[in-house]
Amino acid sequence: MPCLTVNGVDIELDEDGFMIDPDLWNEDVARAFADSEGISELNEDHWKVINYLRDYFKQYHIAPMVRKLCQETSCSLKYIYDLFPSGPAKGACKLAGLPKPTGCV
Amino acid sequence: MPEYKGMVQPVRATPDEMRKIFAEPVPDEQKPEKAIEYLDEIRKKFRSFVVAMESCVKCGQCAENCHTYLGTRDPNNIPANRAELIRKIYRRYFTLEGRWFGKLVGAEDISLDVIEQWYSYFYQCSQCRRCAHVCPFGIDTCEVTFIGRQLLHWLGITPKLHAAVGGAMEKVGNHTGLPKPGIVDTLEFMSEEIMDEFGVEVEFPVDKPDSDIIYIPSSADFLLNPYTLMGAGMFFTYIGANWCIPSNVTEAGNFGLLFDQYYTQRGNVNRLLNAAHELNAKKIVWGECGHGWRAAKMYVPSLADRPVRWPLTHVHDEAAELIRRGELKLNPENNPEPVTLHDPCNYVRACGLNDNMRTIMNAVTVDFREMNPHGVDNFCCGGGSGILFDDPEMYQRRIQLSQKKADQVRATGVGKDGNGILCAPCSICKAQLYPMVEEHELGVHVHGLIDLLAKALVWK
Repeated sequence: MPCLTVNGVDIELDEDGFMIDPDLWNEDVARAFADSEGISELNEDHWKVINYLRDYFKQYHIAPMVRKLCQETSCSLKYIYDLFPSGPAKGACKLAGLPKPTGCV
Repeated sequence: MPEYKGMVQPVRATPDEMRKIFAEPVPDEQKPEKAIEYLDEIRKKFRSFVVAMESCVKCGQCAENCHTYLGTRDPNNIPANRAELIRKIYRRYFTLEGRWFGKLVGAEDISLDVIEQWYSYFYQCSQCRRCAHVCPFGIDTCEVTFIGRQLLHWLGITPKLHAAVGGAMEKVGNHTGLPKPGIVDTLEFMSEEIMDEFGVEVEFPVDKPDSDIIYIPSSADFLLNPYTLMGAGMFFTYIGANWCIPSNVTEAGNFGLLFDQYYTQRGNVNRLLNAAHELNAKKIVWGECGHGWRAAKMYVPSLADRPVRWPLTHVHDEAAELIRRGELKLNPENNPEPVTLHDPCNYVRACGLNDNMRTIMNAVTVDFREMNPHGVDNFCCGGGSGILFDDPEMYQRRIQLSQKKADQVRATGVGKDGNGILCAPCSICKAQLYPMVEEHELGVHVHGLIDLLAKALVWK
């Protein structure tokens, strides 16, 4: 099983690089993911998207509709792809420590 | 990277993930023996499978009609050859000439290598049935893929994606893992969006007892396809329906059809009928999902454990009927962009939705251009049967599998000015085509059909 080590803590990942245990998430984990996704630095907008995803997930145990994510963070889908080149699901959700979305997505 | 002796393979579910969907993986050393035992059981039950095993003369008609072969040019992706991967085993163990003459008559002993070969090739087939449609003997090679995947599942080999979908269905009643609060929140958001964009008040009732209609949407609509979800709500509101969405089955898909036609598929059917029973519904209307509509329309009657007292229709059937009766006021000018229609394979080659989709399309758009070929002859999007694998190796394969579709879309010219619409009214097609129209630079946006209908509605 792949693993990401952040501040001495081993974080287990699934085959797609998503966290197995979302409770181990912290901001340094997001930064470590950013490195692996080729994002050089997390700016204010990155954090806005990550924090919105985390808050939504905490409340509803699912990621929000992509359209809602765009509206609530005032980021167009294109801009989200600029921020997270792998896109809202495979990029932003991964950095926010959410599980990989399943189904026809 | 998932690969076995040079063959691409999807990432497979772990033993724990298999157990969550009530399958116990068979240890490797027992797999060959068990494979023969299961194959024996299945061949006695499915005549369609035996016909495929016994009748093929390798005429080659299926080769150029398979988008998987056209995209990959791998000879094992010719439908007749793909079926041969099981046929050589069938011949060895269940025919006289195979038992006596073995390799001389193309028979082969079962081995782990053969099983791994099944896993690679039966998950590159989209189960689109275009080969069945052109076969002069009427062999439905899709049935062979069905059985190949069933054997693999019983042995404990199922893609992670399919097993995760099965697990989410067990847990919450949909493929994306949406719990009820998330469903309600998204539907409230849809109501606000409809008010902002169309200025009409639309409510999305959830779990409303005594509804005339329960609407079964694809759960992917809640994450990726807002206009399909809004479209259904607008349509039911427009016709004044007493309807609701059941939170216990917020899923039009049934991946059981695709990897486990026994426990998983039957379980999903009974979950649906239980929901209809509990809500005292009068009718079940299906959302935009190709394989799921085939699983519902064609399999519910035989898999149900009780008399089915609910009429089962597709939202396109409902809309087309009202258009023919002149009961929807529509303004096709609301969809001025050039549009082409990708026919979901299961709609046209399994469920007879061909004409109704065109009845709607012609009533709600002004510049509709058919692909060539289309309707029952259409090619798959390349994601059919849920092969939406996104690890880098399999993602590259998806680009190859969608090559034929990309060529077809380009030939219509709808994307020439970058404002075209590719209507693909099925969640698997949408999930495949959203990235593929970018990969192939087609200049189109992907939408459902009910999306376009809702935009054309003229409200009083």
